[in-house]
Amino acid sequence: MKKINLKVNGVDYSVEIEEDVRLLDVLRNQLRLTGTKEGCGEGECGACTIIMDGVTVNSCMVMAFQAEGKEIITIEGMATKSGLHPIQRAFLEEGAVQCGFCIPGMVLSAKALLDKNLTPNREEIREAISGNLCRCTGYNKIVDAIDKASKYMGKEGDVNGI
Amino acid sequence: MDVNKTYKGVALQEVLTLLQQHENTSKVIAGGTDLIIQLRECKVTPQVLIDVSSLEEIKGIEIIENRVSIGAATTFTQLVNSPFLNNGLEGLKEAAKSVGSPQIRNIATVGGNICNASPAADIIPPLLVLDSELYISDINKSRTISLEKFLIDKGQVDLKTNELLCHIQFNNIKNNQGLGFSKLGLRKSLAIARISVAVWVEVEENTYKQVRIATGACSKLGVREREVEALLLGKPVEEKTMQLGAEALKTQLEKRLAGRKGMEYKREAIQGVFKEALTKATYLSKT
Repeated sequence: MKKINLKVNGVDYSVEIEEDVRLLDVLRNQLRLTGTKEGCGEGECGACTIIMDGVTVNSCMVMAFQAEGKEIITIEGMATKSGLHPIQRAFLEEGAVQCGFCIPGMVLSAKALLDKNLTPNREEIREAISGNLCRCTGYNKIVDAIDKASKYMGKEGDVNGI
Repeated sequence: MDVNKTYKGVALQEVLTLLQQHENTSKVIAGGTDLIIQLRECKVTPQVLIDVSSLEEIKGIEIIENRVSIGAATTFTQLVNSPFLNNGLEGLKEAAKSVGSPQIRNIATVGGNICNASPAADIIPPLLVLDSELYISDINKSRTISLEKFLIDKGQVDLKTNELLCHIQFNNIKNNQGLGFSKLGLRKSLAIARISVAVWVEVEENTYKQVRIATGACSKLGVREREVEALLLGKPVEEKTMQLGAEALKTQLEKRLAGRKGMEYKREAIQGVFKEALTKATYLSKT
């Protein structure tokens, strides 16, 4: 057992972990942040995507002890009291969500992109979500949604940014 | 997974001491994108994991005189975005860009790609043609070894259990030199290379003064193609030379992969992949 300190969605946590668990396991099983999904468990699908220190990573490929001192954003950290994040709003409006399993990862990959580039072209959007597989939508509506979100965020500023 | 003790290293000396203490039971973890899968499949069974992903001393890219030094714990994203790599080295960036997915490039490291020594490792062919030297340390001493010698076999490298790969260094590229890279995968993202080729050239008076070629996924290791290099040396920059190289590579693959599944495909495909890499390298040497 080992104690690690990390910040998730703006909240400081001190968690007792088994040393052989992954960050994904800690997020889901200990912090009960089950919005982060486990798909393939080997870095192919991106369902477990989170943002760690400003960049997306597959949380199934990070050992929990490596996350000591890290700042993490999961899907639960996107919406605020004032409502959904513009990316989430755009996903709903564009019908970009079907079964929904890939969506938390998709939204976080979109956030990581838009935090760095508020005016991405469609090619850049596709590149940004190239590590997230979706078996339902065929991606077009997801790309439309991210494009729309970039316009919302350009207008409003990233009011929900953490 | 047998892991029951983990250390997150913050200083190089500390990590080297830990490696010495846990010499036979530990594994170094950096990005973890290969290791965590191997751990979960019980292909490796260390009891101790030593994380080097936060070791500032072995992160980042520096130019020291005319040498480029890449810290082993530098991520592929950092390599792609580095302002220190000039245009002639485009092939190195392109190889880094072709690794996995954004999520993987954000955490996977150059040193990890080398030490994991997959035959299809994307960054190995360009580093081979740059004649890269590896700087390796243990608690008592440091040594250097060429990347080519470091790679022993598939998944096997010349690194003792108490040693850490710290830096990768090579000569910076000159104006009349260029590095091209081309990869054939089944899709653009998350594709393991079926074939990759890196070509480094120095061009003078429209002639190849120096040529270095390395292939990935065409052997049990990333390898230098010295016979082909020798053929192109001193030849003029023209279509005929490119064809000569392509056919020589085809012959190499026929010999090397004889009797293996995929040989017939690879011997054809490598020609196109090689031509693309050579064209890019040649172009970069002239701009």
